[in-house]
Amino acid sequence: MELRRYIFRRLIQIIIIFFVILTVLFLLFRLAPGDPVSRMIDPDMTPEDAEVLISQLGLDQPLWTQYVYYVKNFFTGNFGDSFHYGQPVVRIIGNRLPNTILLFTSSIILSALVGIFLGKIASWHKGKKTDTWMTIGALVTHTVFLPWLALIMIWVFAYKLDWFPITGMISEEVWLDPDVGLLAKFLDVLHHMVLPLGTLFLIHFGSYLLIMRSSMLETLKEDYIITARAKGLEEDVIRDHHAAPNAALPVVTSVGLSLAFSINGGALTETVFTWPGIGRELVFSVSHNDYPLAQASFLLIAIVVLLSNLVVDVLYAYLDPRIRY
Amino acid sequence: MALLEVENLNIGYRTRKGYLQAVAGVSFSLEEGKSLGFVGESGCGKTTIGMALMGLLPPNGMVTKGRILFEGQDLLTLSDSEMRSIRWKRIAMIFQAAMNAMNPVHRVEDQVAEAILAHDPDLGKSDAKKQVEGLFQLVGIPEARMRDYPHQYSGGMKQRAIIAMALACHPKLIIADEPTTALDVIVQDQILKETRKLQREFGISMIFISHDISIVADVCHDIGIMYAGQLVEYGSREEVFQSPCHPYTRALISSYPTLTGKKSRLTPISGETPNLINPPSGCRFCDRCPGAKTSCKTDPPAWEEVGPRHRALCQDFR
Amino acid sequence: MVNSAETDKKISKRFRWIDPFLEGWSIFKESILGRIGLTLLIIFALMALFSFIPPHIDPMYHPMTGVDPAVSHSTGPSMRHWLGTDFMGRDLLSQLLAGARVAFMVGVSAAFMSIFLGTAIGMIAGYSGRGIDTLLMRLADMIMVMPTLLVILILSSLFGQLNIWTIVLIIALFRWPGVSRVIRAQTLSLKQRPFIEAARVAGASHLRIIFRHIMPNVLPLSFLYMTFRVTSAIIIEAALAFLGFGDPGTVSWGMMLQWVWKTGHMFSAPYWLLPPGICISLITLSFYMLGRAMDEVLDPRLRKEEGAG
Repeated sequence: MELRRYIFRRLIQIIIIFFVILTVLFLLFRLAPGDPVSRMIDPDMTPEDAEVLISQLGLDQPLWTQYVYYVKNFFTGNFGDSFHYGQPVVRIIGNRLPNTILLFTSSIILSALVGIFLGKIASWHKGKKTDTWMTIGALVTHTVFLPWLALIMIWVFAYKLDWFPITGMISEEVWLDPDVGLLAKFLDVLHHMVLPLGTLFLIHFGSYLLIMRSSMLETLKEDYIITARAKGLEEDVIRDHHAAPNAALPVVTSVGLSLAFSINGGALTETVFTWPGIGRELVFSVSHNDYPLAQASFLLIAIVVLLSNLVVDVLYAYLDPRIRY
Repeated sequence: MALLEVENLNIGYRTRKGYLQAVAGVSFSLEEGKSLGFVGESGCGKTTIGMALMGLLPPNGMVTKGRILFEGQDLLTLSDSEMRSIRWKRIAMIFQAAMNAMNPVHRVEDQVAEAILAHDPDLGKSDAKKQVEGLFQLVGIPEARMRDYPHQYSGGMKQRAIIAMALACHPKLIIADEPTTALDVIVQDQILKETRKLQREFGISMIFISHDISIVADVCHDIGIMYAGQLVEYGSREEVFQSPCHPYTRALISSYPTLTGKKSRLTPISGETPNLINPPSGCRFCDRCPGAKTSCKTDPPAWEEVGPRHRALCQDFR
Repeated sequence: MVNSAETDKKISKRFRWIDPFLEGWSIFKESILGRIGLTLLIIFALMALFSFIPPHIDPMYHPMTGVDPAVSHSTGPSMRHWLGTDFMGRDLLSQLLAGARVAFMVGVSAAFMSIFLGTAIGMIAGYSGRGIDTLLMRLADMIMVMPTLLVILILSSLFGQLNIWTIVLIIALFRWPGVSRVIRAQTLSLKQRPFIEAARVAGASHLRIIFRHIMPNVLPLSFLYMTFRVTSAIIIEAALAFLGFGDPGTVSWGMMLQWVWKTGHMFSAPYWLLPPGICISLITLSFYMLGRAMDEVLDPRLRKEEGAG
């Protein structure tokens, strides 16, 4: 089927792009001012251990050989050990990845769905109060500075009202208690997720609302809407069954285009809320000069962004038959 | 009693530049099983009439005067839901295939079935699909293509699908708005033949809207010539074609090439259509009329009866 | 009133290229978003201008080094310090004003640079076609995928603390793809036009054609997109400063937020927490509104609707 070929082609593209990024990162780390060796070697290591690591990573070899080692290491998951944690980097980022995926995907899905839903309603009430308020609301929330909104959310809801925890993803008491069941653990995570998810949601749903709104207004002018009316269909059937599926397509495109922006926001949110994800790990590792961890976190984020792009493209192809057939 | 009787229809649009009088004082009637063609340039109001008959005028359009009597009922007095039950079930429309008349994200079969189910909700989905199959067979679309999406159809196929969709609820009247424009002449011919056949077979009345008088003369019993929102000549196809009275009709006919008959010079019509926001009080065609008199500019023209059903809106054309 | 209309006519006759601007201005004036956006921006611009004043009134008002001998911790609004002071006793209002200056500086320079780059690359890609076009657009695709903020983070881990101009440059290097796509599309359609053909026949070199003939037609579009570049540049700089990776010698709004957060005053000093965040959000909002209003000027379809025919 066409769809499979399309996915395959995109996958190849992504792999190529990723290799470019990998290579650029390699070059940057080796050629940047300063001693590249010290970047891979923990300053607290003993000279003997350092020697072992140097030969293992091929840091005493010419550039080309280093590159081969580098790529090989990447595919075997060997990123070295984190300076700060003292553990293999791959274990740390493997630990963090699901947390980011959880927060990231749920925020995008939630803001896209709500944005589409409200945008549809706003377009239907164009010019009236509902529409004006929704548009203003979308505009205002969309332009608020994310980290600042995060701080405000914490201040109001966690500190002042004490409804939600201030930091973290889990409460230790709940998770360390052997008697606590899976459901309680799940609810605990959810409880911690409300504020970061809410912040991300507020920042993003506005743009989807505005796009859906103008897309609906454009779609409602299309000829097939006249056909639908001529067929004697009810207005809400026309709006929901005929107009909305077409109008939602540009929103999907927009989600794809703003993925990089969303990842930025995700990293900021994780940092402020101390949500243990890779975004936060990147920020943390950079500020502590933990190079192995920083490199690996960045590469992993790049993979996440590229794959999300692929997912969005496939979703679009699925929703628009003109692409598939 | 005629199936459709339109009396003194006046339609206008509210625009930023003012009130545009799109249709002025149009009256005609249509018998069951007969077909009527409206011919005119773009902007003459023929599409507006079609839309008004279906109750599909845009929000800034309104019928200011007149009655539309369909099977004895004045459509203009009906409520929204009453009109909705009439749409498609009793009056259907055939749009241009070149337009985006079908929703790109739904399958063609589903869209036709939707029309059936909208007016017969108790019918099951599979029964509706069977009906769709029958309709497609009628218009000549292979069953294998039924589940395709509109963009996969060729122009001719799309037009057939649109015709099939219009027939779905067995309406009494079908309004065809430029159904063959943008199709190549061979396909055009096929479609016209099909249309004539279906019309005869099912006894459906048709209103055919086109800018091409030759097509209308091919398919319709009666012809109405529209210019600048007014009906300027009306009569049976033979009468209008063989003895056109209004100067505009004459000009229209002579601006089309014919394959047979002696070769004559094609004479295009000079000038432009009048501004309908401030329509002239006299005859609207007089600026372009070769036989205009000074009285034409100031006095509104009256209907002249030429034959039993043939009339023209002109002071003096003999 | 008659006089100014006549003068207008005289001026516009002499400089005919002003006409589209005058028409655009009248449409722009009608847009409520445009008016609010422009008003807000003027306020911020005034803030930026006033930022030079406080240190002259008294050295203690200097945003970075100002020390009030009477105050050594964060205090609330008072007569001497209208917005209060930060944890070191520095005046918050002068910091806020300095932040406005930095925002404009960063926003406008990064926008200009990315517009310049994007337009040049877009024109070259659209005009050259085939190999060069594909190469450049693939490059643009790759850059668009990357999250700018995180890339700058990695770079600063390698190169140490980045100074403000380096940050601006990097932002520009990552924001040009969006502009180049649009400019490329425009160039492609212009390429077919007869006057380009004529220039080529007359023997003009490719470079000359690009810069003399295509560029003037493409520039208005570039400038429209500038409004969006400005906001993203400001936000990226603010986010960087917030995370602690900004230029330590520059007082920006993001930097102010970093200080209030990292020094633990988040919950106790709303007079410190609120103003910088409000400013960043408002300036983003105003540029956005400006962009929307300009959209209406440049794309007639978006204006108030006409009736159907």
